[in-house]
Amino acid sequence: MANPSLPLVRLTGLTKKFGAVSAVRNLNFQIHRGDFVAIFGPNGAGKTTLLKMVAGLTSPTSGEVKFEGDRSARARAETGYVSHQTLLYNELTGRENLLFYARLYGLDGGADLADSMLSRVGLAEARNLMVRGFSRGMKQRLTLGRALLHEPRLLLLDEPYTGLDQHGSRLLTRLLGTLRAEGRTVLMITHNLAEGLELSTRVMILHRGKLAHQARQEELTRSALENLYFEIVER
Amino acid sequence: MNNLKLIWWLALKDLKIEYRSRQAFLTTLFFAVLILIIFNFAFDPGSNATREASPGILWVALLFPGIIQLNRSFQSEVEEGTLQGIVLSPVDRGVFFLGKFMANWLFLVAIDMLILAAFVVFFNFTLSGGLLWVLLLMVLVGIGFTAVGTVFAAMVSNIRIREVLLPILLFPIIVPIILAAVNGTREVLIHNDFSTLFRWMQLLIAFDVIFLAAGFLVFDYVVGE
Repeated sequence: MANPSLPLVRLTGLTKKFGAVSAVRNLNFQIHRGDFVAIFGPNGAGKTTLLKMVAGLTSPTSGEVKFEGDRSARARAETGYVSHQTLLYNELTGRENLLFYARLYGLDGGADLADSMLSRVGLAEARNLMVRGFSRGMKQRLTLGRALLHEPRLLLLDEPYTGLDQHGSRLLTRLLGTLRAEGRTVLMITHNLAEGLELSTRVMILHRGKLAHQARQEELTRSALENLYFEIVER
Repeated sequence: MNNLKLIWWLALKDLKIEYRSRQAFLTTLFFAVLILIIFNFAFDPGSNATREASPGILWVALLFPGIIQLNRSFQSEVEEGTLQGIVLSPVDRGVFFLGKFMANWLFLVAIDMLILAAFVVFFNFTLSGGLLWVLLLMVLVGIGFTAVGTVFAAMVSNIRIREVLLPILLFPIIVPIILAAVNGTREVLIHNDFSTLFRWMQLLIAFDVIFLAAGFLVFDYVVGE
């Protein structure tokens, strides 16, 4: 049984180097249950590398990521990950994709789960269409469905708004708002300051691999965040 | 039991995708038949020399095109990012290896049967019990070839020159099974010497067991990062 006083995720001295280049430098922070953390930063700030290390896709050069005080592979089963890529099979239908992932996670009643998730992300009517024929917005919603299918305790989102039109963005914001209301723990990377601030409970600005600033959402207005962001990245 | 189901589902997913796209199937089959046609034109099919060389020709046509499928099997996973999806799941990476292996092996055996049929036609072999032994050799060679090939295909999947690199890495390792395959086929189709055939088969079985186990054990490191 998990100890509720422990942070869900704890990063200690997290550093990642690619040759001589340090992508992430000595990051230390904690994510508690129910936190919706938005991470902002310019390209090359180390955001994606950070998320990959939290997901367990990349090993840190030094430091560690602990999931409830544990470094074991168990964390993989507790994490949902939305990356730049959809992680979906184009030659399978939406339903087949979710069914496949349900099996990988050993979920009972995979077919029912897949159907209910397709309804939840608004793709019930497209469930038997090949993903190859999906629009970018449909793929992104299915990607979110895939990441949520096993009810992960931590959801990692890497620029989920990329490539979405206004309608797709609105649908995604609505979905993410529901997740926040449900008290899910989310770590989201985004370039969209307004959406990120609106959805989050906490914001962080990453610059040149370092944590340049962090604040509770209620401490910042949209214009204050914009001013702070540009002040940091133009330094 | 759950792991056996997972292996089957992983393999079934690959086979379903290949059935729908038919990309690897058609190119592999076309390449293999092309090899047989070229050798058929180059040598006189009725001569003794061609008959002696025909087991080698058969295995060139069976194994070289198999590289296409091995490359494809991970290329699509990398291009669509689905490899990350599987690696992030709690599935044991050894189980993932066995799923990939099974899909590649079933694909290879299915296509090898068609190539064998084309070979029989092009090189004037009669349908006999000997061909069943060649089929058994194909099954055993396929296991070793696919076990080693699946590991190497995963290793090179993120490298730009993977199409070139895979055969360069793979063929030196599988020299023992190529030797066993060619010599075993010669004993069956030409010399009818089954005691020698069984010795080659023992070598194949040992190779298969060693490399299947090795693949299962090392796959965690291969797809780890």
